Amino acid sequence: KQWYQRRVRGVLNYYTNYYYKSNLRMVAHKVRNSTLPGGVPKLSRSAVYRKRALYKRAKVQVAAVKVDVASTKTKQVQGEKNGGNRQVPLQKQPRFYPTVDSKKPLNNRKSPKPTKLRGSIVPGSVVILLAGVHRGKRVVVLKQLPSGLLLVSGPYKINGVPLRRVDQAYVIATSTVVDLPALPEIGDAIFKRKGKPTKNEKEMFIDNTTEEPKISAEKIALQKEVDALVVPAVKKVAMLQSYLKSKFTLSKGVYPHDLKF
Amino acid sequence: MLYQRYIEIGRVCYIRLGDHAGKTCVVVDMVDQKHLLVDGPETGVPRCVLRLNQVAITDLKITIPRGCKTKKVRVELTKANIPAKFAKTSLAKKAAAKVAKANLGDFERFQVRVAKTLRNRKIRTTVRKMKKSS
Repeated sequence: KQWYQRRVRGVLNYYTNYYYKSNLRMVAHKVRNSTLPGGVPKLSRSAVYRKRALYKRAKVQVAAVKVDVASTKTKQVQGEKNGGNRQVPLQKQPRFYPTVDSKKPLNNRKSPKPTKLRGSIVPGSVVILLAGVHRGKRVVVLKQLPSGLLLVSGPYKINGVPLRRVDQAYVIATSTVVDLPALPEIGDAIFKRKGKPTKNEKEMFIDNTTEEPKISAEKIALQKEVDALVVPAVKKVAMLQSYLKSKFTLSKGVYPHDLKF
Repeated sequence: MLYQRYIEIGRVCYIRLGDHAGKTCVVVDMVDQKHLLVDGPETGVPRCVLRLNQVAITDLKITIPRGCKTKKVRVELTKANIPAKFAKTSLAKKAAAKVAKANLGDFERFQVRVAKTLRNRKIRTTVRKMKKSS
């Protein structure tokens, strides 16, 4: 579609060229076709061709650009009597063909998109956890991880919730937002579970008495680092620390659908 | 006298139930024993018929002739400064408080709860002190 063309209403896929009149107004050329009820154009393409007298117009031939694509390449061959080199096709023919031509499935052009974060959840927003060990606790959202889950921290010092991943579906977002400073880079890698040690024949009768600590030292150090940044930000707001300490509960006469968070 | 406030032409009423709940209007005419013709040009209540039980009477009253036009009602309302007077009444304040309470966020509800606890604690300790001293 060119800049001097406009869509014509009432005719399918029809554009008219506009021209400038003496008063510099853009005026459309007359439309030679029309639409019948049902969205069908009245005249066929050949009929419109005739009507517009396009046979009278100079036909512009655009020469097809031929691109030479190399189909073979030269390979050096060993041995005196083997001619030195050989022309080898770049695209080899398949060695086997199936006996029955089966239908190929259509191309799947779907690609997974990153999880869309709820508009009410922002880095720093206080959120109520609805499931898991820490259900009912109010917690600060640090960010959305590349996996789509929310990275959340109590902070651990305040309510015992460590750096944890949480799905935004299991969370009520409140309107309270904490002004967070710049935090260290945290990804999904820290939360990856370590696989069980594979049974080795030699080690079958040996007890593995040394148990690994349940929380890695790396995680503890990271938690302390993050808390050192988040806790002061929380303390700046009056009563926010005790708010995060408290749990969300329902009591008589409290209906979640009526509450504003 | 048993009743201080009467339903009469020009009485400002507060609509409790229905589409226009929470707004004030003026009684323009009586339809029958249970229905009023009501108009609230300043508060967005169209001229309509309401049931008596949908409405609560206020102290405020303006002088209008029976069945007068909306324009006249508006003029009389602004002359008597009814919107400002109504805002001062306890009914208006209570209605506003109810709306404010419904719009509280989770953090604000927590703050209200804490404030209530502290206040009640103070009251109880002073009462106990007074009981002890007496």
